[in-house]
Amino acid sequence: MIASIDVKKCVGCGNCVNRCPLDVIRLNEQKKAYIAYPEDCMTCYICERYCPAGAIYVHPFREALPKIFTQEY
Amino acid sequence: MEKKLLETDVLIIGGGSAGMWAANRFKDLQPDKEVVIVDKGPKDWGGLMTMAGGDFDAVMPDENIADWMEDFVYYFDGLCDQPLMEEILKCSFDRMQDYQRNGCTFFKKDDGSLKSVPQRGLPHVKLYPAQLKGRGGEMMVRALVEQLQQKNVKRLGRILITDLLKQKERVVGAVGFDTLNGDFYVIKAQAVVAATGVGGWKTSYGKNTPTGEGVELVYKAGARLKDFEFSRVWNMPKYFGWEGQTTLMPLGGRFVNALGEPFMEKYSPILKANTDPHFTTIAMAMEIRAGRGPIYFDISQINPDDLVLLKPQNGWQLMNYEKLRDLGMDLFRDNTQWVPQMTISYGGMDAGIHGETNVPGLFAAGTARSTEPGVYAGGFALMTTSVTGYLAGEGVARFLEEQPQVEITLDEDEISSLQKEIYAPLGKDGLSPKAVLTEIQQIMFPYNVSIIKTETALQDALHRLKTLQLTKIPQMAAKDAHYLLKLREVRAVAFVSELYLRASLERKESRAGHYREDYPQRDDAYLGWLTIEQDAAQQMQFAWEPVPTAQYKYPITRYYSDNFTFIKKD
Ligand SMILES: Cc1cc2nc3c(=O)[nH]c(=O)nc-3n(C[C@H](O)[C@H](O)[C@H](O)COP(=O)(O)OP(=O)(O)OC[C@H]3O[C@@H](n4cnc5c(N)ncnc54)[C@H](O)[C@@H]3O)c2cc1C
Ligand code: SF4
Ligand code: SF4
Repeated sequence: MIASIDVKKCVGCGNCVNRCPLDVIRLNEQKKAYIAYPEDCMTCYICERYCPAGAIYVHPFREALPKIFTQEY
Repeated sequence: MEKKLLETDVLIIGGGSAGMWAANRFKDLQPDKEVVIVDKGPKDWGGLMTMAGGDFDAVMPDENIADWMEDFVYYFDGLCDQPLMEEILKCSFDRMQDYQRNGCTFFKKDDGSLKSVPQRGLPHVKLYPAQLKGRGGEMMVRALVEQLQQKNVKRLGRILITDLLKQKERVVGAVGFDTLNGDFYVIKAQAVVAATGVGGWKTSYGKNTPTGEGVELVYKAGARLKDFEFSRVWNMPKYFGWEGQTTLMPLGGRFVNALGEPFMEKYSPILKANTDPHFTTIAMAMEIRAGRGPIYFDISQINPDDLVLLKPQNGWQLMNYEKLRDLGMDLFRDNTQWVPQMTISYGGMDAGIHGETNVPGLFAAGTARSTEPGVYAGGFALMTTSVTGYLAGEGVARFLEEQPQVEITLDEDEISSLQKEIYAPLGKDGLSPKAVLTEIQQIMFPYNVSIIKTETALQDALHRLKTLQLTKIPQMAAKDAHYLLKLREVRAVAFVSELYLRASLERKESRAGHYREDYPQRDDAYLGWLTIEQDAAQQMQFAWEPVPTAQYKYPITRYYSDNFTFIKKD
């Protein structure tokens, strides 16, 4: 899941905003990217890979999903 | 919010592999006609292909189509649309060459020949990995977008199409909305290609966009669907995403249970671990149910020389590998825990070779049309979506040549009622789409609904789903256009879930990717496709379309599922 965007590093190019398949990221009025819809992130790293400033960190763990079995395993 | 009116010759819904191939081929044949591709995702993102490793199935010129056909008839337990599959295989090498001509490269061995990886223990079916393992799909997207630019294909992103428009039974356009600013779109078209992908349950990486709005909209327009009893039950690491395990299997990768036993030997003494992941997942679920979980992935048997092919080298795969390694998790060193998981649905439109559906003016391309019964060979989708996209492009071109141009007059009452329906949940208080999605997942994911199916569990799930559709779906609300998209997605997830449950109840046997524990044998009475259509009273009608064995070239004499001990032989 997307974890953070470093505003100090962000140069406002909009790559992450335009490329995120799930529209998770938006630019604010100061032209800084922010995580607008964190719950929709699918951990695809597209934003991080195309950020020219190295401002984005996506944690590799995906969100937990409802269980397949009732018992823990 | 503005109302926007567009007019084009061909509207293609979905800019994934299939949609782009359809546009590309159509423009070759009719360069003066206008084509618009509309996608709910970013403009030119290329759908799931943007994440694909780039493995591609193709029949080489020195191979026999008949050999591959025999593999598929066997692998699909008879549910193979033989004329379609034969055409796909015939064209597969041409599409691979098209990619190569446009700069996409495949992995070569030291002697310069292409490296291939046999699939699922089948004698002939094999895939060709991309040179840049992990970025192959991205390169293919780039190559296709360049072609579309050169051919003047108009592309629009972030627009969800919600409904098709018809005039005297013929599809003549669609409506939808901009998922960023909410603008309403009305698009007139002489023909429409639905290249909208499959449905699914939003289970993280690569499975969050195929949610079935395309299935819902073509169904409402009268299209015949099929194969919804099949879903992709896959295996994935418990905590993170991983791609490429299917390439590891033929080379010695395997799953072991908590006791360290490579259990597939027990369930499939001949194929062992090197089999279709759907069957591995059934076995995984059986091991966990018997108290022998968790399941781990074991690569100790892989020849170190082969690891070079397997270690992530590019793109998502490399970044994922490095991030996990930094957290102390190395799939190439440690045993990692894996779980069985329902991910996307199979099933789609029932269509002819050139994508023609039962609705005039509506064509189907790629995974939006059904090509496989719940089993999946690595590299199959990039082959089928390129070929069926290409063929749909030809089908539409012929349709426009043969059918007279229609003067499209919009029914303003219909359009304003569709518009009202789209925006009704906007700006209201209500349930969040995500919360409702979680409830649907809770209904669908239990192993006896998704993997080892039983009548009781399916009936119970259907009952709970119908209650949710009546009580929760109408209560969903959207703060803005972004959430309006998510809301439509969740509604479609519920719709596809219903198709899956009802179809799973209808097929009272086990065949290919569909496993019923209460009917664990194949039954010849079900050697056919289960089709679904909406009747005049807006009810779901199910019908069996038998496999026309008498007309088919390849006899059905062997069954892949016979390799597994849980499929009973009378
Ligand atoms: C991580 C990953 C790796 C893979 N690796 C491989 C591989 O190596 N080899 C292989 O053969 N296959 C691979 N696949 C599978 C393959 O990429 C896909 O099956 C294939 O690309 C699907 O193409 P498609 O055009 O049919 O559907 P999609 O790619 O799903 O395209 C459908 C498009 O339609 C849009 N859409 C849907 N509904 C609407 C609507 N109502 N309005 C507007 N737009 C809409 C979607 O946004 C999407 O862009 C992989 C898949 C993933 C996720
Ligand atoms: S990881 Fe993917 S889904 Fe998540 S924010 Fe980045 S681009 Fe969007
Ligand atoms: S890609 Fe990086 S630099 Fe560009 S807007 Fe996003 S965070 Fe800022």
